[in-house]
This record gives sequence, C-alpha cells and structure tokens, in this order.
Amino acid sequence: MRERITYVQKLGDSLEPSAVTVDGGALRGPEVHAVREDRLTIALDELPLGLQTLVTGTRDLHIRWVGAAAYEAVSPLLARLPPGFHLFFTPGKDDAVSNKLCSTLGDIFGDISCSTPAESFTSIHKDRFQYFQELGNLSHFVQYAKDQLCRPTDASCPARLDTLSKAASLDISYDTAQKVLRVTALGPYQRQRVHATSHPNLRTEVGILSTDRPKTLEAHEIGISGLLTVLGQDSKPSPTMFSFASRHRDVKSAFSAQFLAPTGLHPTLQLRLTSNNPFPSPSGDDDDTTCTPYAYLTLPRTIFADKYQLADPLFLASKNLTALRHTTQPVDLEAPEYVMSQWGSAVLLQLSPPPPPPSQSQEKRREEEEWTAEIPLHLRYLAPTRGGYSTVSVPYPAVFWACEPQQQGAVAFPPNPFENGDLGYDGLFEEGTVFWHVEPRPVEGGRDGLLVSRVRVPVLDLERAGWVNAGTAAAVVVGFAWVVWKLVGVCLRGGVEGERERVKKRQ
Amino acid sequence: MARPSAPAGRPSPSSPTTTPSLLTSFFRRPTPVYLSAALLRLVFLLYGLWQDANSPVKYTDIDYLVFTDAARFVARGQSPYERETYRYTPILAWLLLPTAQATGNPLVDAALFSSGKVLFAAADLLAGWLLERVLARSMDGTSARKFAAIWLLNPMVATISTRGSSEGLLGVLVMALLSAVMARRVTLAGLLLGFSVHFKIYPFIYAPAIVWWMDADRMGTAPPDKKPLTKPSPLSQLLAFITPARLQLAATSLATFLALNLAMYSLYGLPFLNHTYLHHITRIDHRHNFSPYNTQLYLASSSPSLSSSSSLRIESIAFLPQLALSCVLIPLAMAKRDLPSAMLAQTFAFVTFNKVCTSQYFLWYMVLLPLYLPRSSFLRNKRLGVAALALWVLAQGLWLQQGYELEFLGRSAFLPGLWLASLGFFLVNCWILGVVIGDVGGGSKAGV
Repeated sequence: MRERITYVQKLGDSLEPSAVTVDGGALRGPEVHAVREDRLTIALDELPLGLQTLVTGTRDLHIRWVGAAAYEAVSPLLARLPPGFHLFFTPGKDDAVSNKLCSTLGDIFGDISCSTPAESFTSIHKDRFQYFQELGNLSHFVQYAKDQLCRPTDASCPARLDTLSKAASLDISYDTAQKVLRVTALGPYQRQRVHATSHPNLRTEVGILSTDRPKTLEAHEIGISGLLTVLGQDSKPSPTMFSFASRHRDVKSAFSAQFLAPTGLHPTLQLRLTSNNPFPSPSGDDDDTTCTPYAYLTLPRTIFADKYQLADPLFLASKNLTALRHTTQPVDLEAPEYVMSQWGSAVLLQLSPPPPPPSQSQEKRREEEEWTAEIPLHLRYLAPTRGGYSTVSVPYPAVFWACEPQQQGAVAFPPNPFENGDLGYDGLFEEGTVFWHVEPRPVEGGRDGLLVSRVRVPVLDLERAGWVNAGTAAAVVVGFAWVVWKLVGVCLRGGVEGERERVKKRQ
Repeated sequence: MARPSAPAGRPSPSSPTTTPSLLTSFFRRPTPVYLSAALLRLVFLLYGLWQDANSPVKYTDIDYLVFTDAARFVARGQSPYERETYRYTPILAWLLLPTAQATGNPLVDAALFSSGKVLFAAADLLAGWLLERVLARSMDGTSARKFAAIWLLNPMVATISTRGSSEGLLGVLVMALLSAVMARRVTLAGLLLGFSVHFKIYPFIYAPAIVWWMDADRMGTAPPDKKPLTKPSPLSQLLAFITPARLQLAATSLATFLALNLAMYSLYGLPFLNHTYLHHITRIDHRHNFSPYNTQLYLASSSPSLSSSSSLRIESIAFLPQLALSCVLIPLAMAKRDLPSAMLAQTFAFVTFNKVCTSQYFLWYMVLLPLYLPRSSFLRNKRLGVAALALWVLAQGLWLQQGYELEFLGRSAFLPGLWLASLGFFLVNCWILGVVIGDVGGGSKAGV
C-alpha cells in the first residue's frame, strides 16, 4: 500500500523549503490556500476478498463520485464530471462477477440502485458500459473504508477517513497492468494547514506544489514546481520542477444551469455562461485545431433528450446549440419511468457561442459577457404520488471547450501524475483534444447552493384517485348502455318495418 | 368538422331562386371541386416547406420524419425497424422510398422529400372521388360532390395529409373497400380488406359488417323458387348464411392478410411482428389522450404489484364494450340497413371506446361522414346539428385546456380535470353515436 498526499496551490503561491519541517514520520507546514489530493494505491492482494474477485473479474473498472457542492478546482486537477456516482466498466469473461457488481457497489457506497449491468447499464463502445446515478454523500463509503482499512488500535485512521466526507470528488480505478487499485480523493480549494503523518507498512509521499510558468514552458504545457518528501525516509523536502502537456485546462469562465419556467412536461435546461475570456485559442502555432464549447449531461431516466428533435439545424440554432454529438443508444422515447431499468442517458451537445466580437473592440472583450444555451428535454411519466407532484433532480452538466485536432492520428497525451482515467466524454473526441473546463456555479439565489437543477413533475394525485376506477367504469357503462339502447330501438323498429314489408310482399 | 352551408340539392331560402347559386354551379362539374381540393393541398404543402425552412417550429409531422427515416434505412438495404418508433408495415417505407433519394440539388431534394406528402394528398383526392362515386348511387352528381367536398375541401384533412400523416392512405383504402363491396366485386373487396388490416389493423371491424350485408338476396344468388313455408331450422339458417360470396370474401381477405404478413416476416423477421402488431398488445398507453380509460390505465400501469389482478382486469375488459359494439352489435343492427352508415358508426364506436384516442383517429371516421350526412338528423334538424358540433368541439376544448395546463404549465391536471374532461368527451361521443344509430333505424332503407 502506498500513499500520496499532494497540496496544489495556484500560480504565484509557493512555499519555501524552510517553511516545512520534517520530523521523523510527520510533516508540518504553514497554512496554505490549496487543494489537497490524497491517493491510496492498494495492491491486489491487500484488497478485501469481495473486491479482489470483482476487480480481477473485470477488464476495466473506473468509479468517479463527484459531490454536488460547488467547489473551485485548481490546475492541473481540473477535470469535471456532473455531480453524482459514475461508473465505467468493461466486463470480463465471467458473467457471475458482472452480475455481482451492483450488489458489491451497494455494499461499498450504500444506495446504489442498479440491478445487473445487462439491465441497468448503457453501452459506450462495443463492450464498455456506463452507469450513473445521483449519490448525495460518501458516508456509506467512509464507514466501509473504516471497517476495511483501520486497525482497532489506530485512532487516527477513522478520523482521517472522516475527512473524506468533505471531499469534492472521489476516484477509484483499477489498473489491470500493474494490478493495483488507486483511490484518489480530491478536496476543494481552501485554506488549510499542511500536515501529514506516516503509518507503518505505508509509504507516504507528500508533495507541496504550485503551478509555475518557467521561461522554457511551451504554450501547450503546464509547469509545476514545489517540494517533495517521502515520510520516514527524507529528512527535508527536496525541491522539484517539471512540466507536462495537460489535456485539462482552465478557461477561466463559469456557468450555471436552471430550468426555464414554466417547466411542464418538456422542460428546457438553460445554461448561462459568463465569461470574460470566452474564446480559448488553440495552444501554440497549431492552426489545425478548432475550439468549440460542449455540454456533457448525464440524465437520470426520469428525463431525456430526443435525438430526433435535436437533429434540425434551425431548431438547434434557435436554442444556441450546434449539434447533438453523442447520445446513449437506445433511449426509449415513450416508456414511463417506472417500467425502465436502464439508469438513464448520457448526452454530448455542441453549444453555439455568440460570434466573436470584431477585433477592434478588444477592450470590450475583456468585459463580463453572458450568453445562454437552451437544452430541450422531456420528462417521462412518473409513478403517482400523494399530492400530485414529484421532483426530479438533474445534475449540472460538465461544460467545457474542446480544442480538437482536425487531423486524424494526433498524438495522445502522455500519462501524467494528475490524470485519473477517462471521464465518459473524453473518448468521444479525437486523441489529443484539450478540454478547457468551465466552472459550474450554483444559481444565484438558489435554495441550497448545489450543482443540481430541480424540476417539479406533475403526476397523478393518489389522494384523488379513489373514484377513478368506479367513475370510469360508470361512464363506460352509461355510454355503452345508451348506444345499445339505440341499437335495440333500431332492431325493434326494423322488426316492425320488416314485418310490414313481408306482409306487403304476400299481398 | 366542416359542414355544408346548405342542405343538399336545396337552395337556401334566402337566395333568390331565379339565379342558380354560385355554390351549386361550382359543384355542377367535377373539375372546379377537384382542382380546388388539389390547390388547397398544394398551398398547404408549399406553406409547410416555407415554415420548415424558416422556423424552428416545424409544419411537418414528427411521424413523417419517422416514415422518411425508415425509408432511408430501407434505401440502404436495412430494415425500416432500425428507426425507433417505426410501428408500421414496411410497405409504407417502400412507398416513401423516393423521399430517401438525394441529388445534391436542393430544390429537387426538397421535392423528393415531399413526395410522400404528395402521395398522401393524392390519396385524399382519390378517397374523395370514391366518396363521390358511392354517394352518386343515391343522389345526383352535384349533390354527391357537395357532400364529398366535406372531405375534399376540409382544411383539417388537407392539413393532416400535407403535414405527412399517413391516415389519408387509410381513407382511400376504406373508401375503395366500400365501393368494391357496393359494386359486388367480392375478390377486390377481399384483397382491399386484407391489405387494409395489414396496413393498420383497425379496418378488421368492417369485416363482420360487410359479411352480414352480403346476404344471398343482396348478392342476387338466392334461389328464386325458395319460399318460407315453414320456419327454417337453425341448421338450414346457418347453411343459408354460408354463401359463396361470403366464403370468397373470407378466403381472399385472409389469404391477402396472411400472405402480406408472411412476406414481411420473411423479410424483416421478428422486429416486423413486434413493432407492427405485438407492440399494440404490450404498450401501456399511459400518456394522456382523449380515451376515457387513460387515467385508469396510468394508475394501473404504475402500480403493478399493488393491483396486478385489477389492472389485468381493466386491460382485458376495456376492449369488450369496444369490440361488442364495433364488431357485433352495430354490424348486426345496421349493416343490412345502411352499410356506409354502419361503417361510420363502427369506426366511431371503435375510436370512442378505444384505450388510446388521439385526434388523428378522428380522420378514420371523418372519411365516412359524408356518406351518412345526407340522411342524418343533424342536417334535417339544424339545431341538433349545431348542438352536436358545438358539444364535440367544446368537450375537446375542455380536454385540450386541461392538457395544456399539464403539458406546458406543469400543473398536476390528471385529476380531476383531464379525467373528467375525457369522460365528458366520451359521453358526448356516445350521444352522437346514438343519434347516428337512431337515424339509420328511423330512416328508410338505404337504396343500395
């Protein structure tokens, strides 16, 4: 088992080596404004038995949980996904392992409502599957981790794991090549004291880093400098400096999402993008790259986008959209929510920003600008409730500008220490695409400040449903009886007429 | 529903009798009527093209996009059922194959894409012409054209076909079936019946009416010397019922239906069966529509564990009144008196008592309406006619208002608003159906 603790500060914030004291197994430093990332690397044989069978039975497993509370991210830890529980999964040969996946996840995370991959998951590529659901907190996971990781004698272990409940995101992925499970928790950007202690049987590496911009840095690269310490091994932090090409960048703009009123059964999710630097330019002199904004939505099965509606260019343009780039297939356009087992659908929409202002108004461009894009969605019928309404929560989409190389066969980004595997949408772009992330912000004056849009759905009111069966039956009986009565009248009159006719014939 | 401004063949009392009314001279010859009907559709078609090209709100019906997408799949050698929600016979996709062609010239492509609408509009005109022919059996040509104009010059009908709904094809099939029957062309009638049922299922309701109508007397095959001396035994009555014409109709229609289905099944396999037929059995019909059963079905479908026995009852009982009326009682009581009116009443009952009811189903009976109106008390008694029309429109309006509150404003209008509105519309329809039935019994036997 190995542990890596990384504090990442913004550009310009850096710590002198003298500010940090390394004393035996502990590292102490001043209070800094940073994000803290904790990564635990667990070897296969150190895993609990249930997890061992699971990860060895899959060809690829990647879980990412994102909290619904807004948080500020820091370069290069910028990758974003809609808040909730994401799973990307390639099954192995053994179906039994796949079929136990959901119950194992339930043991670990608590309220996971999938049944089996075949029923609940959607397919991304031919054998790769995706699952998403809303998951408000990690409390069940924290309890599970305490039970599995902490020794009864170690009091600091539960306390340390409790800090996970404040994490902004959690990433768990199994590396089949190295046979290790990586668990990475990322905290929000906040003031905190630099502090780490070592544990027996655990190699702990601590990095106190910040973004740097040395003169040698190329435009597509991100520079990092700071201090690295291996607890119990180093007596003082050693300075480090490195740079790498990062595919996740900060576009320094923000967006919020909310449903336009009245929502009805076809609500429109409006994305409101504010931006003082709206047009990321392709890095360097690479002219074969174009940058366009996208929204990646993970929609629970209560709500969906109609790909046929999103095929008409005029309609799309009226909503400030360009194209539907991807949607989960298939999406049932008719079924009510209560008969569906598939988790929902993932949608990638290309947005259509306002045209760039003329170049002479460079000054104006610096000003805060705002533009919107509307995403038309459709609600399914939900199960009846008492009161006649239900609430559907839709996580904020991930919004980013993608700078995609136009030529095929561009080079993929080499792995870097801050990458956590795929995000669901990155695979929908060409290799070498750079993602410039737009920061999600809660709606101003919103109730809870969460990155979730809520919509009230009218459903059948159970409190008033008492008369439905009897009333319908009564109306049908009355209508039917009236029609039959008229038919009987026709037959009786016809009978008399018929008789008269026959009499006439005989005469 | 449009109604003629004046009763057939009678000039309105206010107009001077010396000059023939403009209206009558318009209907004297077929050319002006059919030309205006075609022109009406052309104008709607062109307007639709303009709206589609310039507005995010489309004139073209979503169904037309489904058909044309399916045609595109077929053009690529794939199954039309690759298109989600394509729930029709492959023949429809084949008919629309020209819409899948592309030349690169935008004008030609737009024309090709609209060719399906042109087909549906042409089907409208053909249905109108068949209507006129059937009407002309019992009235002069001018009056027949006046009544046929209720269909031909009806803006609602023209809108539906130029928006790309295939219901107009059903209209022409049903009218062709009726005129074949009236002309005693049994094989043709069987072919048309089998084809119509393959196309849209519901025309199967016409089979019992046509069979009942086709007795030996009517077909001129009754032995002339036979005299009812004694009361015939049930067995001989049954034997008398089985006539060559009836057997011929049953054989040709069944053979057509089965042959078409076998052919389609061999081409497209299970998806054909699932989407064209089985879908109608498994669908749960929970989305709000005019049907009186709608609220109940939504309630039942959402709580299968709670009331599995009762939900099973609703779904399996709901078709009983519908089929009893449209397939047994109305044919028995009405078919021999007035076959076209019986078919109207059957269709009306089928749509009114159906588990799903949307406004495009109204077209199913609208094509038969001009055949009934000449003898209807709605035209004889203006006040009754206006009341019926007003009630029909008002009940629909109430429902639509509740539907708007639900669908666009998000108000939970299912109960009691939508439910009561659908029951109200249902009862209005039942009342109208009762009047239609009463008219057939009250009037003289149709001279057909």
